[in-house]
Amino acid sequence: MATLELDTVTKVYQESDDRIVAVDGISLSIDDGEFLVVVGPSGCGKSTMLRMVAGLESITDGVIRLDGQVINNVKSQDRDIAMVFQSYALYPHMTVEGNMSFGLEESTDMPDSEIASRVGDTAEMLDIAELLNRKPGELSGGQQQRVALGRAIVRDPKVFLMDEPLSNLDAKLRSQMRTELQRLQEELGVTTVYVTHDQTEAMTMGDRIAILNDGELQQVATPLEAYHEPANLFVAGFIGEPSMNFFEMEVQGDRLSGDLFDYRLSEEARETVNDVTHVTLGIRPEDVEIVADGSGDHDFNAVVDVVEPMGNENNVYLSFEADGETDLVATIDGMRSLDAGQPVVARLPESAIHLFDTESGTVLKNRSLDGREETEPRV
Amino acid sequence: MKDQPDDTKDQPDDASNRDTIGSGGFVSRLRSLDRGRVGLYLALLAMVGFYLTPIETGLVTSLKTNQAVIETAPYAPPGPSGFTLEKWQTAIDQLLRGMGNSMLYAVPATAISAFFGSLAAYGLTVADWSKRYKAPLLALFVAGIFIPYQAVLVPLSQFWGQYVQLGQNLGFVWALGIDNDYAGIIELVTTHVAYGIPICTILFRSYYKTLSTEMIESARLDGASLRRVYRRIVLPLSTPMFAVVLIYQFTQIWNDLLFTLVLVATESSPAAPVVLILAGLGTGMEGTDFPLRMAGAFFTALPTLAVYIAFGEEFAEGVTT
Repeated sequence: MATLELDTVTKVYQESDDRIVAVDGISLSIDDGEFLVVVGPSGCGKSTMLRMVAGLESITDGVIRLDGQVINNVKSQDRDIAMVFQSYALYPHMTVEGNMSFGLEESTDMPDSEIASRVGDTAEMLDIAELLNRKPGELSGGQQQRVALGRAIVRDPKVFLMDEPLSNLDAKLRSQMRTELQRLQEELGVTTVYVTHDQTEAMTMGDRIAILNDGELQQVATPLEAYHEPANLFVAGFIGEPSMNFFEMEVQGDRLSGDLFDYRLSEEARETVNDVTHVTLGIRPEDVEIVADGSGDHDFNAVVDVVEPMGNENNVYLSFEADGETDLVATIDGMRSLDAGQPVVARLPESAIHLFDTESGTVLKNRSLDGREETEPRV
Repeated sequence: MKDQPDDTKDQPDDASNRDTIGSGGFVSRLRSLDRGRVGLYLALLAMVGFYLTPIETGLVTSLKTNQAVIETAPYAPPGPSGFTLEKWQTAIDQLLRGMGNSMLYAVPATAISAFFGSLAAYGLTVADWSKRYKAPLLALFVAGIFIPYQAVLVPLSQFWGQYVQLGQNLGFVWALGIDNDYAGIIELVTTHVAYGIPICTILFRSYYKTLSTEMIESARLDGASLRRVYRRIVLPLSTPMFAVVLIYQFTQIWNDLLFTLVLVATESSPAAPVVLILAGLGTGMEGTDFPLRMAGAFFTALPTLAVYIAFGEEFAEGVTT
């Protein structure tokens, strides 16, 4: 158990004359026992960051502290950190028991009997006690994944690092393991950094999520904060499925003028825009209301392009002109039926819109959460 | 190979058709064999014959009396009067001590060069240090493979004859009553190890490059040092490659005549390796004793055959990786 701190950590790969910045000055601090999920598109530097914490990559610049101690120059094997890899990375020539006791044998002076009992307890906890004498090659993917987890847990390290540990499992097993991992982490209370590109995992598992793009930290927040109050355009677009609708607009007085429609702003909202001239209007699909008819400031005529029934809800792809491309995605109740080609009115309530500075991407105004009952994120 | 029985029964097709006991399945299977396949099997059979004939010839010759060698064709088996095991008896009698001497250097030289090769390959692949330094080292190892034996014969004999004179330096060993010709055995071990390390390193390197890096990293994070990772992860996983390297090196070292000629020299020496004795076996003023030479050659080849059989399964696994 420990706190983990990253202070302007940077990783630069120097290849002859090419300087590739993989991780760009990330500062983060993870509390004792916290479950932090690091999420971002592939190639955003999240794995590199994790590997620097593990000591598998050198740190170009910045400092990593574990429990207040700088560990930049501490070798991997002395960091007391356990990592679970996407490929599980089990030792194929050892039994499950051998795999799980290896770490304790190498890193501690613990007597064999105690190692055996700890391995036994952990195996019991993970429901793999009957597999202890098997080799990894004889196990299913799910079982191997449990062994990989067990190998990390049995060592009782200061920090768990997990690099997309669930992405090789099938969908059903993945959601099962997701809950189980959360339960385990809560029980053990070990500080955990969990890297994933999977939104569902990011939203549901962590205490906080850190969103990375291009090696830069975009936002660290609780999942709901990141969903409802994104710090910038990237976070707003990355979190949520289907993603937020964006429209680039020009500010003209109290109106936003775009290629597709004009949007009148209330005084309150207008103030947030200040003297920014180009803004991006964002609205989540579930906040778009589809009404039979209306002629308010925020009502727009549209035509249904495609309907994607999901069962509990329908994703409706709308277009502002007949036969045009999809301009707007809305999510409506699954029991409500709409047909392609049907003309409707899309209402974009002002309380639900986000405004971003188009140039810098920073948020100007987030949706207001007052009076909203449904605060569960949709993913 | 599984289909071969079908092929040999191919010609008497009519006979098997009339065979009332024979299963209908077999007959219909014969019918379904098209011309192309028949041709293929015949060609394969011819090749098998081509490669096996010399071995068969050698084997039957080794069982003939000198008289029978003159009277029968080389590949024909000896008649009852021309058959003898006497040549094998003589060959074994004369070669047995050489066999022991050969074992004395071939086994340690094989094991040591394989182990060193594996260690060096581990350092060149798994160990984490700059590629800039790894590449020139690797180039040196590769170059080492291509140095021909003949090119080093003179420096080699000078090295052992003038600079490192084991015959004198190891005086205390010879004082124990061991013939000081055995210095040649130690020289052979050292020379073969030095010569074998490059090829062993390259073979192990190609194998270690296929090991999962995440697995190695996982072991490092589990607290294992570089040395412990080798000992507990990499070495146990190297078994198939060890089989390949052991078979290759053992055969190479066992069969080598050039270094033994330079370093041990005479077949009359008590430390003479089997290849040295074999070279002179069955040759004399009265002409070449072919059966004796054949018997000697087969007897000498037995250990290499034994190694192939012993490590065959791992070998197959090793060459496929």
